[in-house]
Amino acid sequence: MVMGRALYSVGFWIRETGQALDRLGCRLQGKNHFREQLSRHRTLMNVFDKSPSVDKQAFVAPSASLIGNVHVGPASSIWYGCVLRGDANSISVGAGTNIQDNTLVHVAKSNLSGKVLPTLIGDNVTIGHSAVLHGCTVEDEAYIGASATVLDGAHVEKQAMVESGALVRQNTRIPSGEVWGGNPARFLRKVTEEEKAFFSSSAVDYSNLAQVHAVENTKNLDETDFKKLLYKKNSRDAEYDSVLSDLSLSENVPKSA
Amino acid sequence: MATSIARFSRRALTPNPIRRFFATSAALATNAEAPKPKLTVSPSPDRAKWDYRGQRQIIPLGQWLPKVAVDAYVAPNVVLAGQVTVWDGSSVWNGAVLRGDLNKITLGFCANVQERCVVHAAWSSPTGLPAETLIDRYVTVGAYSLLRSCTIEPECIIGQHSILMEGSLVETRSILEAGSVVPPGRRIPSGELWGGNPARFIRTLTNEETLEIPKLAVAINHLSGDYFSEFLPYSTVYLEVEKFKKSLGIAV
Repeated sequence: MVMGRALYSVGFWIRETGQALDRLGCRLQGKNHFREQLSRHRTLMNVFDKSPSVDKQAFVAPSASLIGNVHVGPASSIWYGCVLRGDANSISVGAGTNIQDNTLVHVAKSNLSGKVLPTLIGDNVTIGHSAVLHGCTVEDEAYIGASATVLDGAHVEKQAMVESGALVRQNTRIPSGEVWGGNPARFLRKVTEEEKAFFSSSAVDYSNLAQVHAVENTKNLDETDFKKLLYKKNSRDAEYDSVLSDLSLSENVPKSA
Repeated sequence: MATSIARFSRRALTPNPIRRFFATSAALATNAEAPKPKLTVSPSPDRAKWDYRGQRQIIPLGQWLPKVAVDAYVAPNVVLAGQVTVWDGSSVWNGAVLRGDLNKITLGFCANVQERCVVHAAWSSPTGLPAETLIDRYVTVGAYSLLRSCTIEPECIIGQHSILMEGSLVETRSILEAGSVVPPGRRIPSGELWGGNPARFIRTLTNEETLEIPKLAVAINHLSGDYFSEFLPYSTVYLEVEKFKKSLGIAV
């Protein structure tokens, strides 16, 4: 008992010494030193009276930013690094929709035609990585490819597909069941039946994946530390041993076929 | 007296259903003119609007833990999730998202993934190549790119804002121009310059140009060394957290 108390106070002395050394180091660095601050990133941010409302079953990654008038329906997922800026008008995301990493959903405040449009995204829509959606309407079960740009007033109808890297210009209407692509986007072909089935199944897959990420991201400090401890204990796994044996191989061994 | 009241009430009652019918039809007419999306959002009261911890950089999923080599620079707002391995000397710059939740992502020696890239791996790829994303040694992936289940062989340069779809293969010592879109399953042959949407052959690279490719990767490696030395091995935010908690009266 006495030993425990002694170790506890010695531990405190060492920690205080460390912190004092840290402060000394900061002073030596002079004006170039940097003191880390708490993260001020706000996942759900309200602009005066417009605040986001997100369903309890939706997954919003912590590094995403939902600003202003944003509504997200159940089973939807907003992935890492997205920015949904509903400050000028409203953004409404339906149920089962996934907005993948690094996409940007804006609303138009002023555009060439003068109409101010909310962004409406329907149910079970898949919006690929790094897409940019600006004041457009996307109906249910559509598929916006990765890195696509959909501009003001565009209307993507049910089960239509916008190819990767496409640029859909202002006020374009993409009819139901068609694939448009390219820059500027033009009609390419019709959506096949298996692709239509793929749209709905991908939405469901992403919802399940989102639940896994949601569980992991909402863990607090004790749970994450515990997991790190487990990994450290099991760090010498099969891959570690195979890496060691890889280093002894010659360079000319070809990789996968 | 009673009969008059009855007559009065009957007169009051009978036009009501007719009036109500007209009212509902009018309501239906206005609804048909301006259809609003019916979104029933039931927000949870304990959803965190702000977390003082910010976004965690390394997110283990199941039994997979992203592995970062000791001298690799990974910027603080990068997200590594799932099966991601960042080997020695490589760097992942600000805002990138490496999501290895469906399949493996490997970043080889001295490779670098620049700002705001998204690297993802699909379940299966249309070609015979494994669906993992493999970025081999000395590869420079330009800013805002999207890499999905592709294999990039040693010493390549991927231009900024390029899109590499499932199953594509970029062979050694080739350069992709900025903004190029590589369709699924496309192979970019060795030593050539490709670009455009969809990516088309532009010209072959001269020997001097191919020698420059690893030099660029090494230069970015040196740059990442400067950034790496800016950060202490362990963050000092815990001091701020303790101060914060003390000010709120929460037990530290």
